[in-house]
Amino acid sequence: MAAADSPSTALRRRDLCSRGIRLAGKMRADVVDLLDTYVEQQGLDASATVAALEGVPLAAVERWDEQTGTQRLLENLAAYRAFRALLAQMLEEQREQLGEADAGLGRALAAVLLQVSAFAYHLEELLRLESRGIPGEEGDGPPPPPRLSLFEQKLRGLGVLRELAQWAVRSARDLRQLAKPSPATGTATGLAESP
Amino acid sequence: PQNLKCVTHNLHKMLCTWDVSSRGRRGQTDFCYATNDLTPQVCFKTKERRVEIPVPESSITVTIKSPGTAFATKEFVIHQKDISFVPATPHILSLTPDFPTSTLNLKWSDNGLVFPYGLDALWQIQILRKEAMEEVTQVTYYSKLTHEDIILSWNWTSDMPLECTSHYVKIRCYINATQFVGPKDWSDWSPAEVIPGKDTEPGGSGVFPLDTVVAVGSDVTFCCVHEEDQRITNMTYGSKSYTMMQLSSRSHAIRVLNASASNSSGTNVVCRLENGMDGSVVFVGYAPDIPQNLSCETSNFLIIKCTWKPGRPSGLYGERKTKYSLFERISSKNVSCEVNEMNRDRVCGFPVLPDQKTYDFVLDVSNPIGQAQSSLLVDITQRVHPKTPEKLTVIGNNSTSIQLRWFINGSFAGIRLLCQIEIISGHSEKKLQNVSMTGGKSSSYTAQLNELHPNTNYQFRVRCSAADHFWRWSDWSRGVDQTTSEAPPS
Repeated sequence: MAAADSPSTALRRRDLCSRGIRLAGKMRADVVDLLDTYVEQQGLDASATVAALEGVPLAAVERWDEQTGTQRLLENLAAYRAFRALLAQMLEEQREQLGEADAGLGRALAAVLLQVSAFAYHLEELLRLESRGIPGEEGDGPPPPPRLSLFEQKLRGLGVLRELAQWAVRSARDLRQLAKPSPATGTATGLAESP
Repeated sequence: PQNLKCVTHNLHKMLCTWDVSSRGRRGQTDFCYATNDLTPQVCFKTKERRVEIPVPESSITVTIKSPGTAFATKEFVIHQKDISFVPATPHILSLTPDFPTSTLNLKWSDNGLVFPYGLDALWQIQILRKEAMEEVTQVTYYSKLTHEDIILSWNWTSDMPLECTSHYVKIRCYINATQFVGPKDWSDWSPAEVIPGKDTEPGGSGVFPLDTVVAVGSDVTFCCVHEEDQRITNMTYGSKSYTMMQLSSRSHAIRVLNASASNSSGTNVVCRLENGMDGSVVFVGYAPDIPQNLSCETSNFLIIKCTWKPGRPSGLYGERKTKYSLFERISSKNVSCEVNEMNRDRVCGFPVLPDQKTYDFVLDVSNPIGQAQSSLLVDITQRVHPKTPEKLTVIGNNSTSIQLRWFINGSFAGIRLLCQIEIISGHSEKKLQNVSMTGGKSSSYTAQLNELHPNTNYQFRVRCSAADHFWRWSDWSRGVDQTTSEAPPS
């Protein structure tokens, strides 16, 4: 039998989860807006299919139901750390390619990057709540992608933003799952058990 | 022996060939020649039916005795007019591609050493393309032989990226030997030199040119190199689909005419294939305009500030944006200018150099499409535009005079300053009083105003300029208020 949470821990977790859900919702809305701006500004075809991109974490997961709470948090944290590096790379390329032109897109990218960083920190808070060790940042995220052509950079950016929008949806679902009280005891249980 | 024919490749030696009936083909032939009656006949044996002998000034008598037949011996008199002059086939030394500019550089030797000085030579250069080696163009190049072997060089810029498909080059020549009376003809074509396209390379697929910059109005060919088994569905430039031309089994191209300016992130050229897509980005912009109204001044004798009107925006940003640099000829000092493409005015700072009054500036402006220049010769002491006077204060005051002090940031030690004090009295009467003084190094300046009315409120402000060679007033300082004291009882 897993040890039940103390009421304060359960309360704290529910609070963190609900704030996380709101943050994920806001992030998703901003990413979707950014996607529209990005597609138009980069002259891309909104329906363009983008192959799976190396270094971009996929939101789709098999047997989502069977994941433990810790697995959910750890996968989320790894993903948002990767997105933090990917968005920083996009911002750098944006400045390199456009300089002062279209600062609007640059600002929108920076705003989403801020939210991704905040969300990653939020996930670390949740892990700390469970006195789970926070995984170290292996060498600051994925290795830098090979030098891409400009068109490949544009497509990659499209792929990153699309996947991030999917992750925001998944994260909200994951956090709702974590916030659910355990059916047996009616109180929230430790992360390890909550499927 | 019959049908004796002689061809020369170098006007010195000629190669003579002849036919013999089938019976006379085995064994050695006796070959003799004599250029004229004075020189002894030269004879030798040969198994070949070709010999190399000197080209005669006018004529040469040849006697050929074939082995073992009754009618073997035959004499021929060959005149220079019977000899054909066909230059040797030229040899391409190198064919070098420059992919970024789609330019081929051809180098070959003119073989001039064997010819007399001053002959005119014509070179036909043929460019071929695609798997079918279709002729793209044929160009005639002229040169003069100098009795030396000279390496000639010629450039050709393709209308499509060299990566798109293989390019081949052949060359032949014609030498206008005016002294030679015999028939003259073009040499044979040289073997073709090839620059293989990416469509011959395994894994060479992609859209070309890759991430390039072109001028507005250009006609550009884009190609999509793909794998053999991939079927290409369409190619778009921006949002428009274009009719494709097939270059080879692995390369298709589109031709965009009169390209219009792209937006800041460039125009996408997309090649859609059955199972994926490839693409490139092209930036279409303008070469920089010649900078207008270049003007330079100093406000402090520390930095010279140059400003100019940039003209039409280039439409290029980021790493392709227009770059500016200021070069000063006298000191040979060069400064690169940090310019924000988004704001209209352009400014660049150049340090005032010790013991140098005159500056011969060249403003260089360049971007990937072109470059321009503007220049300005200026005596900086005649271009002084002081900063706004600061800390204007009243330091002395009685019923009819007031003493003012102010501070100007800057080093004006070498010049005289002219300052203008605006005096507004309560009756809204405005007066301007000019005072000049020796310039100082970041120092304060004072002035005394006399003949004021007692017990009257005055507002003062001050602006300054160079006393000698006026250029521009500084801005007005902030105002200061002061009331003169009451007149002493008379």
